Amino acid sequence: MTRARPTTCLSIVMCLLVGAATATAQDAAQYFRQNCASCHTIGGGRLTGPDLAGVAGRRDRPWLTRYLIDPKAVIDSGDPYAKQLLDEAGGVVMPTPPGMSAALAESLLALIDAESALPRSQFAGRQVSDRPFGPADVAAGDALFTGRTRLAGGGPPCLSCHSVGGVGALGGGKLGPDLTLVYERLNGRKGLGAWLSAPATPTMQTVFRQTRLADADLEPLLAFFEDAARRRAEADAVAPLTFFLLGLGGAALGAVVMDLTWLHRLRSVRRRLVDAVTSRGTR
Amino acid sequence: MPSVGGYLDGVLFGALPYVAVFTFLLVSIQRYRGHPFTYSSLSSQFLENRQHFFGLVLFHYGVLFVLTGHVVAFFVPSWVLAWNSRPIRLYILEVSALIFGLLSLVGISLAIVRRFDVAKVRVVTSRADWVVVALLAFQVFSGVYVAIAHPWGSSWFSSIATPYLWSLVALAPDLQAVSAFPVWVKLHIVNAYLLVLLFPFTRLVHVLVVPNPYLWRRPQVVRWYRRPTGAA
Repeated sequence: MTRARPTTCLSIVMCLLVGAATATAQDAAQYFRQNCASCHTIGGGRLTGPDLAGVAGRRDRPWLTRYLIDPKAVIDSGDPYAKQLLDEAGGVVMPTPPGMSAALAESLLALIDAESALPRSQFAGRQVSDRPFGPADVAAGDALFTGRTRLAGGGPPCLSCHSVGGVGALGGGKLGPDLTLVYERLNGRKGLGAWLSAPATPTMQTVFRQTRLADADLEPLLAFFEDAARRRAEADAVAPLTFFLLGLGGAALGAVVMDLTWLHRLRSVRRRLVDAVTSRGTR
Repeated sequence: MPSVGGYLDGVLFGALPYVAVFTFLLVSIQRYRGHPFTYSSLSSQFLENRQHFFGLVLFHYGVLFVLTGHVVAFFVPSWVLAWNSRPIRLYILEVSALIFGLLSLVGISLAIVRRFDVAKVRVVTSRADWVVVALLAFQVFSGVYVAIAHPWGSSWFSSIATPYLWSLVALAPDLQAVSAFPVWVKLHIVNAYLLVLLFPFTRLVHVLVVPNPYLWRRPQVVRWYRRPTGAA
């Protein structure tokens, strides 16, 4: 057996590292779209987090890299600028970006620099109209939320995993969080619109990767969530119990039906013989 | 560098399913070729048949319905989502699934009590039988718990679990969504893989040779004399 030379191994490792770095640079825009755009724009104004256009002029590179790698650690260190960011975000701590490294932070900062220099960045965010929503918008959003109208992008209806106070006889799903107040949590139309256009959680990313929310569906959903937050309807506390009791009642009925279906099943030939002998008495 | 949780997810949801399926295929074929007469679930009906009916029938019909639902959602998720596009239809499907899930749970519970309680049945219960019954009981319990605690499974299975399972079939596991599942959903999935893994070593093989008329033919008494190999 021949042994690989150390230099060969080193070359392979170097190739892999260089390849990975190149891929990282190419993927920065994709990464930003998937993980940053739900809370930040570049030149489109503030969402949950600040507008990142010209961020390089606000803090130096090492500070920004440190913050990207572990935002909470910088906040906890008592850094005054981090504290100011936290206050401006209404106390929402920026989550640690998944898979963040110094190299990835560097390519993201380079991307933000390049996008900041453009007249209009691709990350300027969606334009959401300011017109007041009416009952028709809310009804259209309700139909999208529950699934009566299919999402144009082909994604599953929100009700599959989420609930909103007062929706449906047995409520909505509970795999994901309750969305009654999501409109307020994400700072209204613009913030929620940005989040829905580029969801930042692994589950939403997986589901909507191939079935991106269509522009036409965004405003009805915003209208629906705005209305839900205004009504502040409590989730029906009895719905889960009703669901369970329906199941339990159905199961009891099912057991009775099965018993009746096989009423004349053999209940053991031997037992009948024994019973017959016992009732006659032994001779 | 992946975290411990990420590493565990990779093993349980990215590697275990392949180990389970390949073991299932290889050992099932090998056992059928080498020991065809062991392809059975030895009946204990002759030893005790008062508690037998409700344990057996409720469990099997419950599992057949629920398992069929999983299979349909795996092969044609669009049908399930189309059916669920009216909340009332979604609720009907979910309540039906819960009914059959509860029937299975009652059935497997009665079957376990019977195996503990009836000395004659206990004697012919092998260690492998106990493992199977424990895994099945956990599978059914976790399924019912998930149905109640994390509705609506028929919709999110079709939207999230089905793409994950197909990514396994395509040999390109996508664990992003599955790694964010609640712990009970994860336990349900991992336990399912364990059941597939142990399937060919246990009485579960009867699933592969079950004559379909079992579902509707008149009941009959079965008797057997031989003490099964490996029985306590």
